[in-house]
Amino acid sequence: MIKAIFYKEWLKVRWFYFVANVALLSFTIYSILKISRVIKIKGVEHLWEVMLYRDAIFIDMLKYVPLIIGILLAVVQFIPEMNKKCLKLTLHLPCSNMKMVMSMVLSGFVILVASFSVSLITLKIFLSNHFAGELQSQVIMTSLPWYIAGILSYFLVSWVCLEPTWKRRVVNLIISAIVLKIFFFSSKPQAYNDFLPWLMIYSISALTLSWLSVIRFKAGKQD
Amino acid sequence: MKNFSKILLIFTVGLIILWQLPWGYNFLTSKTERPPFTMYSTVVNDFVTMKHGEASLMHYGQKGDKYTQSQFDSILPAFYVRQLVADGRFPEKINNVEVAPREVQLGNFNFKSLPTDINTPKVGLYQLMESMSGRVNLKMPKDVFRLTKNGIEFIDMLSNSVDVSKSDEYTKMLLKKGVVFPILEISGNPTTRKEYDEGFLLLDNNRKLFHLKMTQSLPYVRHISLPKDVKLNHIFITEFANRKTLAFMTDVNNSFYVLTKKGYKVEKVGIPSFDPRKDALTIFGNMFDWTVIVDSENGRDYYAINSEDYSLIDRMPYMFSNDDIWSKIGKYIIPLHISFTDYFDNYIFPRVKFNL
Repeated sequence: MIKAIFYKEWLKVRWFYFVANVALLSFTIYSILKISRVIKIKGVEHLWEVMLYRDAIFIDMLKYVPLIIGILLAVVQFIPEMNKKCLKLTLHLPCSNMKMVMSMVLSGFVILVASFSVSLITLKIFLSNHFAGELQSQVIMTSLPWYIAGILSYFLVSWVCLEPTWKRRVVNLIISAIVLKIFFFSSKPQAYNDFLPWLMIYSISALTLSWLSVIRFKAGKQD
Repeated sequence: MKNFSKILLIFTVGLIILWQLPWGYNFLTSKTERPPFTMYSTVVNDFVTMKHGEASLMHYGQKGDKYTQSQFDSILPAFYVRQLVADGRFPEKINNVEVAPREVQLGNFNFKSLPTDINTPKVGLYQLMESMSGRVNLKMPKDVFRLTKNGIEFIDMLSNSVDVSKSDEYTKMLLKKGVVFPILEISGNPTTRKEYDEGFLLLDNNRKLFHLKMTQSLPYVRHISLPKDVKLNHIFITEFANRKTLAFMTDVNNSFYVLTKKGYKVEKVGIPSFDPRKDALTIFGNMFDWTVIVDSENGRDYYAINSEDYSLIDRMPYMFSNDDIWSKIGKYIIPLHISFTDYFDNYIFPRVKFNL
């Protein structure tokens, strides 16, 4: 049954997955091309110096892309589910409701991780050709909060979308927006390093919030 | 699962309340107080202040003297040297010492250290410039170096590979001179926007101080003797145009020292305390004296320091007005708050602060 849920979710979001991957990879490759262009014009030494003394990481345009992808994935996955009343049907299947809901959210999480990994690995491969390990870490570690924000935004927006009442949806949305703000406080390279494990733990824990919305849905809460 | 989700939601809402409410309250009620511009005048032997009054700028000394703008320029001849020269008012003698404007300009320097300069993520790569190229203009090197547990490693930027022979040469020289790895603290200022290069100062694992330079492509390493019982903590290489000092330093007791360029002498400066991790330090120096401004948790202190022997000439505390009713009320309404950023560092993580 769980396999079937995963397959159902995949059918729902496969086109979005393709588009999101293309978009994220396009931004990643564009960032790489931008760096390559500067290397050609000014030399790689110039780039090292700018990264060392001016806190540049050259991939700033990627900053909000994972966040947007996370939000859109939750919208694409759960808004039709709610509008077409499919969730009600799903919850009547002979399987633990909690397992099914978690499987639905987990499937989105797996899709996001796959998509973000491709982007990060592409970046890492490019950077390792031109920069020392310290500078590679500077870029990757600075961008990690953006990718974690992408995952958290998915869980939070799923929680909002699965919520049956509008009043509570608005409250949830405000809470989500404030929490996501934490990931974009500083553009200082590696400012989040010590905080990253906690952000990661919190973000993964947020997976369970969707279950709260489903409990309210099952209880028949309505506007 | 239900309980866990509820706890997570309560935790999130609690966090938001403790973070956003105090922030909102401070945003609406806080007033920033900017202390007026104050410097020590070697001419009138007093701290003199320039402050925006209701109608115009006010210039006055702590002894009660009032000055016009023109007089203010004259009592701070080193700071306003260009203005005085332009007006044809530059004195032939300052403190009975014959001086030329160029000489005064060379003796001037500004130095600033903020806690955020220290408490910040560091990359761990540095550039060692050629200090004796024979050319007037400095040039950035083609490599960077990292300090490892056992030595120094130079990396060629173009090929992104370790220069083994140079790394071995420098590591051997450092070990020969008694450096014990790993290095605890390093300070340098690799930029072409300076008149000369002094390389780096290193604090080794035994808190011994070493000077590292590259002179004609060869390593120059020198051990610098420290006075007994001085355990250095932070180093700030200076490279000022006057070439008098090599570095400013602080020890584990937050005493402030000058390392002179000539003879590598370590001299204690007459300020009581400066903790680079918590305090901001600003120095306006000239050939006669320095105005040292230390901003700490307790407020702001101005010190006048003799630039020859670094002794304390005068001191003036600046008290920030503490009578803001809103901040007093706020302490009781919001006894604790959470913030993710801090004035003292560049790191992002949650910190709980008690206001009472």
